[in-house]
Amino acid sequence: MVIAKAPGDVSFDNGRRYLDQEKIQSALDKATEFGAEYAEVRLVSITDSSVSTRDGQLERAIPGQEVGATMRILADGAWGVHSTTDISSIPLQVEGTVKLARAVASRRGIKDKPVSLAEVPIIEDSIHWNPKKDVRNTELSEKLEHLKVLHDNSSDDSKIASVICGWHDEHIHTEFMSSEGMNRVWSFQRSLVNATVTARDGSDVVSYRTRHGGEGGLELIEACDLSELGNSAKISAIRLLKAERSPSGKLPLVADRDLTGVYIHEALGHPCEADLVAAGDSCLDGKLGQKIGNEIVTVVDDPTIRGGYGAHPIDDEGLDTKEKCLIKNGILTDYLNHRESAQHFGIEPNAGARAQDGLHHPLVRMSNTLIRGGTHNDIDELIEDIEYGVYACGSRGGQVDTGRGSFQFAAQEAWLIENGSITTPLKDVSVSGLTLQILKDVDGLTTDSRLAAPGFCGKGQTVPVGDGGPIMRIKEALVG
Amino acid sequence: MLPDDALDRLISGSKKISDICKVKNIQQWEIIALQSYGHELDIEAGKISLAAGGGGGGYGIRVLEDGKFGYAYLADIGSAENAINQAISIARVSPSVDGFVLPSSQEAKQVEGLFDKRILSVGPDDLIQQADAIISEVSSLDSRAVVTGGGLGVSATAGVLTSSEGIEHQGITTTHGIGVQVSIDENSQLTSSWQGESSKKLIDGIPKCVANSVDWAKKTRDPIKIEGGAQDLPVVMTSEGLGSLFSIVVSSAIKGQRLARMESFWSGKAGQSVIASDLSLTDNARMNGGISSSSRDGEGVPTRSQVIIDSGKLVGSLWSTRDSAKLVSEGKIDHAETTGSASRGGHQSPPVTSCSNLELTSSLKPNNIHQLLDRMETGYIVNSVMGAHTANPTSGDFSVTTSSILRVEEGEIIGSVKQAGLSGNMSKALQSGVFLGDDVRVSGGSMYIPDVLFMQGLRVNPA
Repeated sequence: MVIAKAPGDVSFDNGRRYLDQEKIQSALDKATEFGAEYAEVRLVSITDSSVSTRDGQLERAIPGQEVGATMRILADGAWGVHSTTDISSIPLQVEGTVKLARAVASRRGIKDKPVSLAEVPIIEDSIHWNPKKDVRNTELSEKLEHLKVLHDNSSDDSKIASVICGWHDEHIHTEFMSSEGMNRVWSFQRSLVNATVTARDGSDVVSYRTRHGGEGGLELIEACDLSELGNSAKISAIRLLKAERSPSGKLPLVADRDLTGVYIHEALGHPCEADLVAAGDSCLDGKLGQKIGNEIVTVVDDPTIRGGYGAHPIDDEGLDTKEKCLIKNGILTDYLNHRESAQHFGIEPNAGARAQDGLHHPLVRMSNTLIRGGTHNDIDELIEDIEYGVYACGSRGGQVDTGRGSFQFAAQEAWLIENGSITTPLKDVSVSGLTLQILKDVDGLTTDSRLAAPGFCGKGQTVPVGDGGPIMRIKEALVG
Repeated sequence: MLPDDALDRLISGSKKISDICKVKNIQQWEIIALQSYGHELDIEAGKISLAAGGGGGGYGIRVLEDGKFGYAYLADIGSAENAINQAISIARVSPSVDGFVLPSSQEAKQVEGLFDKRILSVGPDDLIQQADAIISEVSSLDSRAVVTGGGLGVSATAGVLTSSEGIEHQGITTTHGIGVQVSIDENSQLTSSWQGESSKKLIDGIPKCVANSVDWAKKTRDPIKIEGGAQDLPVVMTSEGLGSLFSIVVSSAIKGQRLARMESFWSGKAGQSVIASDLSLTDNARMNGGISSSSRDGEGVPTRSQVIIDSGKLVGSLWSTRDSAKLVSEGKIDHAETTGSASRGGHQSPPVTSCSNLELTSSLKPNNIHQLLDRMETGYIVNSVMGAHTANPTSGDFSVTTSSILRVEEGEIIGSVKQAGLSGNMSKALQSGVFLGDDVRVSGGSMYIPDVLFMQGLRVNPA
């Protein structure tokens, strides 16, 4: 059980492999002999470290390593999947997995199309996005020093009740082999710090969360002004203590780049996932080539933006990642897809397959999703003609019903906009809307578009993502 | 599904690790070993789209010296020594917590209904048959209805907990879960509903959640327009609609650590009335067949059924060994001890305090849905919300969205609303005018709650 034999050297980007290539090749050949149209084995090793402090004291530090592999077999136009941490057992599971796929295929209705895969280039190579400073070499004491800076600058006020700081780094190493001859290895790192600052004044208690990180090693943390990150979170938490409840109703909304990112992720990104579209669970079904938004709206999903939390060199079907333009000047131009959904819709595969880890099969997922910049120079230009509205900043997360096309996201803090000026601080602001309406209601974007704070996206599996954009104005949104 | 010798292998691996701990003369150590196996099916667009099987697991090691703890996890038993060394080095730089020691071995009575042998023999073909039956049932309930997403799965988890204090606990638990997203897409109008059911026992046939899902996809069609903007009105939250909010807000508020650190809206209110006087809240880890039941917690401490709120008064809270020692040593509370409420998310993290099966009950006679609506007169029924995870567990405030909402006037459902905001404060909403339904269901993970009528404290803002 649970035997995932490591190569014995954690600096494995020296050509060592977890998978015994001969045995795996033989297993893939066997799948083909059993009649499979396609088979793949993807192994992921994640070496990670999490650290958290509470009120400046080490709360917990957890180093670890996980290795898992998933074999996917397409037989008779249906998928069978086997996932395991017992890597050596993979060849023994081929026949059973082919049978699984055939059992699924046998239930297919006459009208249902068998699964087939879009053709892709077959590549054998290794790609390593080496960080400037390998985060695996960072001592716990150094991590604690960084977290101390974050803590000290977020806690130096009598109204701050507690500060929890966190660190997470991971080195992701993936090996991918397929019956088509794909044989690729890739690796990259992610590093992240965060803080949750709780402020109290009498019986009023509020929290503010901040994060910094992305694809890369220790250099990402070193480049961040952690004292400013902490100080800013502290100021926001204290401000929230005096914030008023949000007005309810349909109001003009201005969103900072954090919220703009969450908005585009929830409202457009998820409905653009071609596996959901194919399943009949997207409001964007049948709308490729149609105008669905204001012409100032252009949206891309780009895993190649180095440093973005959703960046990765190769997708989990072994395809080189690339920028995908989902909306160009208000027109829906592409779906995020994987090989199956690309073939289903007869569109070019665009490397949108991601899996949470080695024990999960790939789904269509976002990476770094952005609205491109517009023409307004700054927020002042966006709000100058708003009589009464809301300026919302920072994300507390969001959710979407892709089929109905309705979504919700929540802001960390907000302000009233009155007669073109930002006035009263607000708390507990959430925004909801309908994708196909609200994309048309985006009527102002500042010029500067970039990724905001790192985030996580759940779709049965959790993957890191980067979202962002410019500061955005929506003519009318349901604020509550 | 689960190899016959799964537990033996975990025991053997744990022994190897414990032997190393003994050689290193570590004061106290604790090893968790977990291995899960299972089968699952995905359903998309009205058909089975994928069948999967397999499993994973590993070991977690907690070491404790002079009140300082370190943790590390591993998959390959061959790297145990390295992991133990890492855990020791972390412990050495960790702050010491006075009075923090690993729990000693105590007798624990078995909780029934957590293992169903029948699940071990469920194979992919059995799941496929069940999926076929569900897909057919949906279409027979409404020819327009399609299962657009969801799936079925069975799993078995073998676990072994061993410690230097004599704890040697082992067992196998099983789970069967079914969830369906049913959509009706007709006349350019798509409505949908997701419902699920999970059990430690085999779910025979077609569970109720399937018909419920079809029912809500139907009920929410042809929405009506509600004028007047945001209004404070009574709301019936179905068990399914309330579960996710209740789990995020209430289960956080009753953790001892949060209460002692003044991070709960019930902080400083021990012994005081915090919710309506007819309501009680119990954390019952010993419920037969409960989703979060166990005979011992994640540290090996015998579990209990603990009343947290008795007739409206806050009388209890949840603690693990470390949290209780830490908060006492920090002077945040005079006395605290473990309540057997430590849980583990897996082998990759040390135990943390969390609730088990949370039961909301009332001393008043329960109401059927018609009685709840009669009492409500005018208001809404909400069956699911989006954005429950954005609720604020510190203050109890929430502002979420729903597309699964019905308008009620004079006690009768008059139609659905396409989308609405729902906001309020859970603590305040529970303080008065709360009436419980008569059908307790599990939702939001392990919240055992019925439909709940909130007469005050909620604001609905129809789009």
